[in-house]
Amino acid sequence: MKIKIRFGIFISILLLVLIPSVSAHLYGDANEDTYINMQDVTRLERIVLEYDPTTTPADANQDDNVNMQDVTLIESIILEQVPFPGGHLNAAMIFGPSSTLDPANGWNGWYVRKAGIYETLFKYDDKMKLTPELATGYTQENDTEWLIHLREDVVFHDGSPFNADAVVYSFARVMNESNSRSSEYDHIASITIEDEHTVRITTAEPYAPTIASLTNPLVSIVSPDADNLDTHPVGTGPFMYDSYEQEVSLSVVRNEKYWGGGVRLEGATLSYISAGETRALTLESKDNDIARGLPFPQVSTIESNPGLNVMSKETMRLYFIFVNTGKAPLDDIRVRQAINYAIDRDVIVDAALEGVGGVPAAGVFPSIFPWTNVELTGYTHSKDTALSLLADAGITDIDSDGMLEYNGEDFHLTLMTYTTRAAMQPSAEVIETQLEDIGIDVTVELLGSSAIKEAMTNGDYDMAFYSYGVAPTGDPDYFLTHHFDSTAGYKENGWIRYSNPAVDSLLADSRAAMDQDVRKEYYDQVQDIIVEECPEMFIFHENELVGYNTGVMGYAIYPNEITFLTRDMYIGR
Amino acid sequence: MLGYILKRIFQLIPALLLVSVASFSIIYFAPGDPAETLMTGPDGNVNPKSVEEFRTKMGLDKPLHIQYLIWLNNVVHGNFGYSYRTEKPVFDHIKTSFGATFKLAVVSLIISLIISIPLGIISAIKHNSGLDISCMVGASLGVSMPNFWLGLLLMLLFGIYLDWLPVAGYGTGGDLEHIILPALTLGTGSAAVTARLMRSSMLEVLGQDYILTARAKGVPEWMVIGKHALKNALIPFVTMVGLNFGYLLNGSVVVETIFGWPGIGRLIVDSINMRDYMMVQGCMVFVALLFVTVNLVVDISYRYLDPRIRYEKA
Repeated sequence: MKIKIRFGIFISILLLVLIPSVSAHLYGDANEDTYINMQDVTRLERIVLEYDPTTTPADANQDDNVNMQDVTLIESIILEQVPFPGGHLNAAMIFGPSSTLDPANGWNGWYVRKAGIYETLFKYDDKMKLTPELATGYTQENDTEWLIHLREDVVFHDGSPFNADAVVYSFARVMNESNSRSSEYDHIASITIEDEHTVRITTAEPYAPTIASLTNPLVSIVSPDADNLDTHPVGTGPFMYDSYEQEVSLSVVRNEKYWGGGVRLEGATLSYISAGETRALTLESKDNDIARGLPFPQVSTIESNPGLNVMSKETMRLYFIFVNTGKAPLDDIRVRQAINYAIDRDVIVDAALEGVGGVPAAGVFPSIFPWTNVELTGYTHSKDTALSLLADAGITDIDSDGMLEYNGEDFHLTLMTYTTRAAMQPSAEVIETQLEDIGIDVTVELLGSSAIKEAMTNGDYDMAFYSYGVAPTGDPDYFLTHHFDSTAGYKENGWIRYSNPAVDSLLADSRAAMDQDVRKEYYDQVQDIIVEECPEMFIFHENELVGYNTGVMGYAIYPNEITFLTRDMYIGR
Repeated sequence: MLGYILKRIFQLIPALLLVSVASFSIIYFAPGDPAETLMTGPDGNVNPKSVEEFRTKMGLDKPLHIQYLIWLNNVVHGNFGYSYRTEKPVFDHIKTSFGATFKLAVVSLIISLIISIPLGIISAIKHNSGLDISCMVGASLGVSMPNFWLGLLLMLLFGIYLDWLPVAGYGTGGDLEHIILPALTLGTGSAAVTARLMRSSMLEVLGQDYILTARAKGVPEWMVIGKHALKNALIPFVTMVGLNFGYLLNGSVVVETIFGWPGIGRLIVDSINMRDYMMVQGCMVFVALLFVTVNLVVDISYRYLDPRIRYEKA
């Protein structure tokens, strides 16, 4: 026993020596309001004149004296003549790059973009608005030709200039046939240099989402002079590559020459931790300042911690039900509507998502998306409406056993789902009880997603509860066409066996229409029709839950999950 | 001796073949298509054309037995194939991950020995005393406590309440500060098993006639325990420690996942999730090879610990 205790003491002493205690201050923030501005200059002058007591961050240059030199330094910081003392940010991420850091390889573009290393010609801002990034804008010359105007004030981290050459070079790396994702840029027939700061994109056919496709991190603009993009990424972003430990962490440092203005953080380390509880714990221990993807039960723990907080924002991920509209009685629109009325989405969010994991869905798209038909109200829970619709369709409780009968037998439905996403099974079980509440006998079947897909292809199912990202490139066409256009031949449409010529022609028109307002009108109509006819039932939009240290300033969640580190972030305390 | 070793090595071949066939077919029948899984991005978008291209490129469109034979042929030629996910040689990934696992395994083993040997000896000497009972209750607790739970408790205690250690992570190349918690988690688990074994085998030896003789001769008690008893009690203990080390080397999936340790256990889980068949297959064969090798080494080490054990000629 004695030995064990001594061992413990030995380890403890060893550790105490090893680990220095760190406390971060925003030096220059004399009044400790987490901002550096003219108020700090005023406060500092009062401290120097001994009107006010001193504060630790008042010693901006950290020479242990609060004097007029500190005032000068703060003024220089405000004027962006010296770098902002923004500190080093540590963040716990869920997923990270595989082994290469090349954005044109697989999905690595997502991760190096999140680290602030690379940028694209256009991007989506935190309100999902399409905005120029390395471009200044575009001119559409005709249905298939687009001129993209490039920024002229950008240099790569290696000092080489950003120009049309670099753009064409970067696209060629993706469009090269040996790239396993080259077919995603099949719509681009050619991309050529028009002049030093203009490129011309020619599409094979009129393709309205062309500009949106330029936001994909796959087509991040890389430096043509870089030696080895696998191991040493060179981009134009606010942060430059520092080091990478495979599947462990990626470190970046501030890009002093960033075209977008002074970068506030001095550097950052993104650690890749797949276990959600561990990510939350590293936030509590202050090892990390931000933890993405908090597990629902951890949310209240983090919120109750005075130095921490949770930010939540709707994402573009939708949880919904595929309905087999080819199978009686689900081929009857009234039956589908009745089921939709019987589902109480608020209860699902409260019970299965612990009130924090999502928001009830009215239609396909979340409220944060500019293409959402905001007039849709969806289905408000109403047992009476559901029962009367079912009665109209001939489904009633004939034998008064509390369960509904269809064709003389108990009305039974199966709801298939899978468990790889934590919210699926609990949500499906709530739906099961809600439908049983109006007298429909429901079985939840848990299967692998490939088994469900097979059943859906064969038409051997009633309903399947699923989760999709609804607008990967920020354009509404992807989800609507894949699921509801019966002429396009996508597998999702085959699964629901849905065909409405009005929807087909609206979707075809909107793909060819170049005027965004006209497209919006078409898509609004499509969203309206599919909610009315419910070949799919939309349940909830997932929330991204991010835990953060309240000292982190300037952080915003981007709904498309592509942008993470930005020049505005810093450690304010 | 040499003949025995050769015979044992020869016997490994069918075992390894069986392992490779089993793992190849199990993962093949698991739901989920690697081409589709790997071509699905973080946002859930899949391009059917990329999926088809990928399938052809990786030979996934061929029948299962052909895929297996191609793989086997490559392995015989020393090529474990290329990861679907990273398109880099599988062996390179195994090498890096195994480095991390090996480091963790060694530290865990040391921790486990430091805890279990003294505990086992003390319990045996103070047989049936309160000390013995509390040690053994502690050991039973250690065996029954799931690793993930112990890991989380240690994280809470050392990472948050005491704030001495980082909660998780690998640090720079798996430094001491980051290795302690996962190693402690793994080490206490295996110490619980080995301490019990140490105790029972020590008790057995202490009941032998030669111990009585030694005591009767007036040999000091510390020498009876340290020289006569301990040496003989260590034989079954070494077997157990060897087997334990084999398990540790195979990487603990749970501990590596919760602590974010980039070892071979985590590599296997990530590869299974991504349906990276090539990587899973490579890891399985590697792990099987490792395990049988450790067993072999343990068997051979008997001979040196106990000269009475002789191996028959092959």
